[in-house]
Amino acid sequence: MYKGTPSRIRKVLYTLIIAFVLLCVRLVFVQLGAARSLSNIASNQYRLLVPLLPKRGVIYDRNLKELAININLVSIFAEPFKVKDKGIDSQKLASILGLSQDEIYKKLNQKRGFVWLGRKVSQDTARVIRALNIKGIDFIKEPHRAYPNGVIASHILGFTDIDNNGLEGLELKFDKYLKGVIGYRYAIRDAKQREVPGYEYKEIQPIDGDNLVLTIDSLIQSFAERELENGFKKYHAKGACIIVMDPFTGDILALSNRPNFDPNNAKAEPPDSRRNRAICDFFEPGSSFKIITASSLLEEKAVQPSDKFFCENGEYKWCGHKYHDHKPHGWLEFRDVIKYSSNIGTMKAAQRLGKDRLYKYIKKFGFGEKTGIELPGEVNGITTHPNTWSKLSLCSISMGQEVTVTALQLACAMSTLANGGNLVKPRIVDMIQDCTGNVIQKFEPKKPQRVISEETAREMRTILRSVVDSGTAKLAEVEGYFPAGKTGTAQKVESNGTYSHSKFTASFIGFVPSDNPKFVIVVIMDEPRPIYYGGVVCAPVFKKVAAELMSYYKIWPKDKKVAEKNNKKPAS
Amino acid sequence: MNKNPNNYCPKILATILMVTFVAVMYVNQQALIYQMGLKVKQNNDVYAKLVDHNKILVYNVLNLRSPVALERRLLAKEVELSMPSKWQVVKIDHSPKKLVLNYKNLAKKSPLANLFVSGR
Repeated sequence: MYKGTPSRIRKVLYTLIIAFVLLCVRLVFVQLGAARSLSNIASNQYRLLVPLLPKRGVIYDRNLKELAININLVSIFAEPFKVKDKGIDSQKLASILGLSQDEIYKKLNQKRGFVWLGRKVSQDTARVIRALNIKGIDFIKEPHRAYPNGVIASHILGFTDIDNNGLEGLELKFDKYLKGVIGYRYAIRDAKQREVPGYEYKEIQPIDGDNLVLTIDSLIQSFAERELENGFKKYHAKGACIIVMDPFTGDILALSNRPNFDPNNAKAEPPDSRRNRAICDFFEPGSSFKIITASSLLEEKAVQPSDKFFCENGEYKWCGHKYHDHKPHGWLEFRDVIKYSSNIGTMKAAQRLGKDRLYKYIKKFGFGEKTGIELPGEVNGITTHPNTWSKLSLCSISMGQEVTVTALQLACAMSTLANGGNLVKPRIVDMIQDCTGNVIQKFEPKKPQRVISEETAREMRTILRSVVDSGTAKLAEVEGYFPAGKTGTAQKVESNGTYSHSKFTASFIGFVPSDNPKFVIVVIMDEPRPIYYGGVVCAPVFKKVAAELMSYYKIWPKDKKVAEKNNKKPAS
Repeated sequence: MNKNPNNYCPKILATILMVTFVAVMYVNQQALIYQMGLKVKQNNDVYAKLVDHNKILVYNVLNLRSPVALERRLLAKEVELSMPSKWQVVKIDHSPKKLVLNYKNLAKKSPLANLFVSGR
């Protein structure tokens, strides 16, 4: 065949054959050796992974009113290499975004493919920047957590960061339920990195977050906050908190602290105002702790309500230490010792109980342990074992010193007296629902533990009613509803370990109505000035909240005379 | 066998035409998919925009309804609301049973009333 063919043609033929063989070798290498890596490079060039963000769960109050919802806001980003006139553009953007020109110029000058200029800006800002039509500046929608009630229940709800991760409160505690599961869409992109519509080849749908239904009532929360705010401002307190609780189920109907913050702009306030004082702060309760001493004494039958104690006319020396009453008293019946909040009478009565039995009841009432509420950051409070008590400890603890508690623990203790002697566990989350409304977890009220007998609880309710009726808490009286409660005015401990004569913690814990308790209300004020008595500072807040609660739940006053006075024309 | 190349021409032409037709149809189909995808995307964008707008409106409504905002506005207008006293409340029973009973009673009391209650 090749006979007689010129050698040049043969050379060309051989060259072609060699080239063909080389191509075949290369082909084998490409197809077998480097196929995977090359196909990865290719797919990375044309494939696009679009994250599909889930909706964060909504938080509702007990009446299914929204407390935390989601809205979409626009974020602005730049692709610096696409921005041509960085100087002029940064000047334009600076005035709209409220940033300095240098800051924006630095961002636009970065050698990166993507840089944020503003995240979750207002719609107006986005509209103005869009109108500038700057090449290399683009927009993206991002879900944003919004709290339509503003400051209401801010310490309960908490807040989220810019990426919608829970940082405080229930947003933090239930973050794993609320945030949902991210989804993805695998799509194809064109040469300009844009998604080619209609060529999605795989989509994993996001799973929206679960919704929380709370035990809070936003209306009760709002008027409790209003009254607390008024008291807080009036007495220039350093801090304050209020808790409204159902004494039978442990449902928290309202919980608020001062100072507070707006979760829509949580960073605007200092971290101190974001602390949930009702569960994170412990303090010496002072006289309000006498309800524990009195209950223990009556339950153990160590005293009878009619037993008399000499209150030493206001000054008593015990183990080299002087104790005082805020008003001098002579002989008082035990019920009056509590009514007039006599320290001397209480400590004398406590001697009959002994330290072990007092400690037993302190623990039974739940002090020194977390209540287990579904909020982050709860503290135990401090109750030391009797083995470590000094000679003075029994006296001090019986009147609320040398022991620290949280406001929520006090609310639970008062609920025990209000409901007939059972310690309830507080709860603030009623249920978790999935995004379609199916209940996936229900937080039923936990089985209460009996602490004192029904009889002792009834006796205590009578004594506590007398505190409001004619004792230290007359300012808590709500005519026609017969509230009951106990005041507390505790000296704070100075940094040198001595009790302060200028810094006090004022408190009032009570329930209403006393014959058929529906609500327990705890009001605490930290360092109120110039007046610092719990009966003056906190009791009026209790009174106003209790009165509004009665109206809200349409509970009519019982006393006919009061009804006549209130209603002018009482119904028959 | 007839090896005349003229015999192959129509077949080759037909094949070429067929292949071209299939290719054009394929390209057309891809273009249609793209256009359809674009339309779907545009509709989705409009839908998402409306949903976002709705969400913002819902947020604004919730904001306006919030007890704090209401209280602030009432205070600004010096409107002080309080719960009504017991004697100020009139309970109206809306149950249809009661209404029927009332009509019957009315009919019993007055013969003229039958004119107004007949057929009820």
